[in-house]
Amino acid sequence: MSPREKAGRYLLLCLVLVITVGPFLWQLSTSLKGLSEDIYTDTPSFLPTDPTLANYTRVGEQIPVWDYAVNSLIVAVIVVAGNAFGATLAGFALARLRFRGVKLVFALILATLVLPGEVTIISQYVTVRSLGFADTLIGVALPGTVAMLNILLMRAAFQAIPSEMDDSAVVDGANAWQRLIRVGLPNVKGMLSVVTIFAFIGAWDDFLWPLIVLNDPDNYTLTVGLQYLDGTFTANPRVIAAGTMIAFIPIVIVFAVLQRFFFRGVASGAIKG
Amino acid sequence: MRAKIATLAALVMLAATGCGLSGEDSGGDVDVSGEVTGKVSLQTWALKPKHTKYVEKLIDGFEDKYPGTKVKWLDQPGDGYSEKVLNQAANDELPDVVNLPPEFALPLADKELLLDVADTDDKLKKDYLSGAIDAYRFPGVKGAYGYPWYLNTDVNYWNADLMKKYGLDPDKPPTSFEDLVAQAKTMKKKSDGKMFLMSRKPSWEDLTNAGVEILSSDGEKFTFNTDAAAELLDGYRDAYADGLLPDDVLTDAYLGNSELFKQKKVAWSTGGGNFINDVKVDNPKLAKDIVPSKALDTPPLYVQGLSVSKKSDNLPTAVALARWVTNADNQADFAERVPGIFPSTTASADDESFSESDGSGAGDAKKLAFESLAEAELLKPVVVDDAINDVFNQQISLAVSGETSSKQALDKAAEECTKLLND
Amino acid sequence: MRRQRWFTPWLLIAPAVVWLLVFNLWPSINTVVLAFTDAKPLGGGQFTGLANAERMLDDEQLSYALINCIVYLLVCLPLLTLLPLLIAVLAEKNLPGITFFRTAFYTPVIASAVVVALIWNWLLDDRGAINGIAQQLSLLQKPLPFLTDRWLLLLSAISLTVWKGLGYYMIIYLSALGNVRRELHEAAAIDGAGAVRRFVSVTIPGVRNTMLLVTVLITVSAMRIFSELYVLAGPTGGPGGRDMSMVMLIQLYSRGFTGNLGYASALSVLLFLITIGPMLLLLRFNRRTAES
Repeated sequence: MSPREKAGRYLLLCLVLVITVGPFLWQLSTSLKGLSEDIYTDTPSFLPTDPTLANYTRVGEQIPVWDYAVNSLIVAVIVVAGNAFGATLAGFALARLRFRGVKLVFALILATLVLPGEVTIISQYVTVRSLGFADTLIGVALPGTVAMLNILLMRAAFQAIPSEMDDSAVVDGANAWQRLIRVGLPNVKGMLSVVTIFAFIGAWDDFLWPLIVLNDPDNYTLTVGLQYLDGTFTANPRVIAAGTMIAFIPIVIVFAVLQRFFFRGVASGAIKG
Repeated sequence: MRAKIATLAALVMLAATGCGLSGEDSGGDVDVSGEVTGKVSLQTWALKPKHTKYVEKLIDGFEDKYPGTKVKWLDQPGDGYSEKVLNQAANDELPDVVNLPPEFALPLADKELLLDVADTDDKLKKDYLSGAIDAYRFPGVKGAYGYPWYLNTDVNYWNADLMKKYGLDPDKPPTSFEDLVAQAKTMKKKSDGKMFLMSRKPSWEDLTNAGVEILSSDGEKFTFNTDAAAELLDGYRDAYADGLLPDDVLTDAYLGNSELFKQKKVAWSTGGGNFINDVKVDNPKLAKDIVPSKALDTPPLYVQGLSVSKKSDNLPTAVALARWVTNADNQADFAERVPGIFPSTTASADDESFSESDGSGAGDAKKLAFESLAEAELLKPVVVDDAINDVFNQQISLAVSGETSSKQALDKAAEECTKLLND
Repeated sequence: MRRQRWFTPWLLIAPAVVWLLVFNLWPSINTVVLAFTDAKPLGGGQFTGLANAERMLDDEQLSYALINCIVYLLVCLPLLTLLPLLIAVLAEKNLPGITFFRTAFYTPVIASAVVVALIWNWLLDDRGAINGIAQQLSLLQKPLPFLTDRWLLLLSAISLTVWKGLGYYMIIYLSALGNVRRELHEAAAIDGAGAVRRFVSVTIPGVRNTMLLVTVLITVSAMRIFSELYVLAGPTGGPGGRDMSMVMLIQLYSRGFTGNLGYASALSVLLFLITIGPMLLLLRFNRRTAES
């Protein structure tokens, strides 16, 4: 890559960076501002003049943030595992296997994407309750454990595998399971990590559903628990910002760990040009 | 503002699984006498973590007073509370004692899910202020459905610094709508259009204060589309056209009137008696500049109360707990912890300490708010729910923007609101 | 060649089908049933036939919502199909610090609604950054009413949608780009194809399947637009409710203790019917191009 092209790329990257990253920095900055600093002024200073971590300790003092985080993590792990498993299997079957009813299943999955999910929340609660999972973390995780969107994403990924690769496996006498494991999986790592990220974020950020399912505040997940920072009589935006930053960090970690899998092809040798 | 809140109950399913709402035990006398013992649950709204200690102390006191009782305390976060309560009610999971504002209590009382405390408690009138009890009496439903808890009202808050800067005297804040418009004009001129005094569109409360009958007497029709209401709206429309109100009033987005005030984008806000203490946390410099004054018209009355679930397994203990939390001593204690809210008990009505100010802005506001309570009234009908409120605000915005005439907007709003009311 | 046993596909798809039936299809059927009733959250539920459909015919807000959704779709579809792909191509190369950029590009997706609201109001307010700068440069005499004018507000919400969608669709594209074989790129480069040529003749065909999926997702989410308008205009959708969207309308009617679940369900069914149309078109288009 020529130095000129490199510079051009960085310039463009920085442009997109400025557009996308603003709110994140704003929140970070607010969470670091001390009590003496006005956060509501005509021209809020972007950098805290008196940076402090006190807001973060106050989050910990006001709510059992670690307990909530552990609850969130449990839900997220169940949802991620369920989607990685269920969506991969279903995506493979829909994309690569021929069987009666494949079209019907695909059409139904597509159709359910259209109805606003919020519309069905109470009937979902009744289902979860009748299964005996009301007020449990499993009940929180359950409806999202195999998300229809993720099945579609995995299906698209399996479809993108060149059919010659699959055909040769079939000629070798591989059955469906072997094709999935030997040909399929190595080629969909990228989308699998996308599904993991979507599942993780979906489970981690959800607010209304866990609030409805859970009754006992001890079981609350982080998003619900953080609402306690926004109380009836007082709310300190700095502490709220610190709380949202705490919720934000695990997502960044998951993202940073998984993003390298998107670049399977790139890692083995740079694309020329 | 957690937004995605659309709750569709699958009633078909509720019925199919046999856990639908039943009114079968309605009508019959409810017996609340009996031994106070055993387990009860208490649900409060957004009191954690700031008031955790207070509530725990309350509960300990109750359990000491009635040996053998055990209180399970559930505190729900501020956001999503109506969805939470609705879901609890629809699934027969209402806690024994629940903190409900009147507008939440009405639909539950209507479905006979709450205990009529006027029927079961003959000391109700003696112990609680009648205005507060009235907040839990609803048109078309016999009885009262909650023990009044804490009270609040609105006073005016002015940014003295900005007023001085733009040619106004913070010691003489506006005392009427005309006055407000006049001072807003001065501020606009002196600040070159950069600063606003007013930042609200007319509300239900304003209509009531203008003498408009909002609801028909049988409570089945909205009747606020009168000439007096149109005149009020015309006043706001002209003020908006003159640039006396910021654009923000036409949207109902995240920034409300008090947020704009905190950002020093407007010089006037209304707020409860504890507003200055609240501002102090966000914006310590601003808090020093705030001067409170009495509401322009009749101040609004805001009531919180504790309702008892009619289906509670342990009614005697539930009633005892609701009474305990709202008794004179415990309420006075609470009001002391949160300066600016007030007890709803008759015993505290003459408490001198509320009418004293330490001379600070916050102290003055507390005193003003307490004095205002004496004349405060419920200005917004309790049947106004979120949907009705939204439809109302849409048309008011349209009228203020000048795109339709005030009368047209009011007619349309009244028609649509009535439709929602009778849905 | 060995044929798969007949039950293998069903075994693979079983979890998905169970979830499809229990958590998606069953509630959807409920919604359809409710659409013909006057159900309320705490009771009611009489069969009312087509009363809800009749009510739709003279619902002024519904016509606003339908128009808004269509405008939304027409503007968002091309922008969100292409821009994230371009960004993905940009972020695909392994340059030093690229991880940081990729992660940063994704932040709008996960930023909380409150923060997004604060930032965008700060930008678009009549005394906000954009109006302020434009007025200082004398580009504008009067501030533009981004947040109160019907069409400007819709435009603002579309910008917000695109801004939030960039990172989301970028990572879907990134995973697909990994599958575009680099020999094709190299061959095209040797043939002397420029960057634009290679983008059109190698990259786009390589991610065709994903692109189609992305267009379907954009279509669905454009019809279901909610939080962007809610954040900018509040629950009322601007003066007169002229910036309502379908989901906002559904939400208006279904919320709270006294919500009209019957009418809200009927609106949901309508939303379903009008979204399924463009989706079927897209799929048909896909099949035709796949065959050619």
